[in-house]
Amino acid sequence: MKFLSIVKLTIPVLMGYIPLGMAFGLLLSKLMIPWYYAFFMSTFIFAGSGQFLALSLFASQATILEIGIATFLLNLRHSFYGLSMINTFENFSWKRYYLIFGLTDETFALLKTNEIEEKNREKVYLIITALNQSYWVIGSVIGALLGNILPFNYKGIEFSLTALFVVLSIELYKKSKLHKPFLIAVIIGIVGMLGFPSDKMLILSLSLAAAVLILFKGSLEDAK
Amino acid sequence: MQNSYLISGIVIAVIATYMTRLIPFLFFAKRKPSPMIRYIEWNMPLMIMVILVFYALKDVKWAQYPYGMAEIIGVAVAILIHLKFNNALLSIIISTMTYMFLIQKVFV
Repeated sequence: MKFLSIVKLTIPVLMGYIPLGMAFGLLLSKLMIPWYYAFFMSTFIFAGSGQFLALSLFASQATILEIGIATFLLNLRHSFYGLSMINTFENFSWKRYYLIFGLTDETFALLKTNEIEEKNREKVYLIITALNQSYWVIGSVIGALLGNILPFNYKGIEFSLTALFVVLSIELYKKSKLHKPFLIAVIIGIVGMLGFPSDKMLILSLSLAAAVLILFKGSLEDAK
Repeated sequence: MQNSYLISGIVIAVIATYMTRLIPFLFFAKRKPSPMIRYIEWNMPLMIMVILVFYALKDVKWAQYPYGMAEIIGVAVAILIHLKFNNALLSIIISTMTYMFLIQKVFV
């Protein structure tokens, strides 16, 4: 796979991460935190909502323990991504620890949807993850340094991440052998969106989906 | 804000985030892939992706003008363009431009 065609795969993430990263950097600079913290947080934490949460916890002077627990719970959903990647990463070198580190919502989505021939897989995965992270780091540093003075009205551009999830859902649905999990996920998604507390929506919905998938394995596999 | 506070907060956030991503590999990787793990690997990603769509829409105010119209139209455009042309980038760019136009110029 050519480098440029890998870059092309990541463009939807670029369109989401740059403005979202800028929003993060802007918020960080409004809290009077020096810009290089945006660089360090995006490089070493690399979790969109986790970093926004960290900023709001910093602002309210939360304790270190609180920051640890809240971040862990917010990002717990990533465990489900790892669960779906165990076999895929199994034969990779030590570099898989970077892939595991970089398993954000969007990176997981790209890795899981694009079929890459086995012999290049590790390399392509590493490039995708590194590109995604570089977009995030660049966006957050730009936001921290000059978010206040950029004139372009990029309001609404974060919808590209929603659209990315829509498109990838369609792609995975086409490949899926069972169709009931899709319907169940739609129902859980609607219930979760309307009924669950906003900050716990994702982990509650994903846990519910995993529970239904496991508990009803027999009947889900029967009715094809 | 004190540097020492920021640095220790960041360090703990780094550890907590990496743990959430590493846990499944620590607990399940050494075992032989069971039919259950394979079944989860096959079916969970689609469920995750669908739920992420609704997660991305969770802050929409459905009861207030414009009643989530921009989001509904944006998602519909993404689906239609994707079913028609089967080109991920095209679907995402057109639906995002539609959405930006709607919230900046139409539903203001």
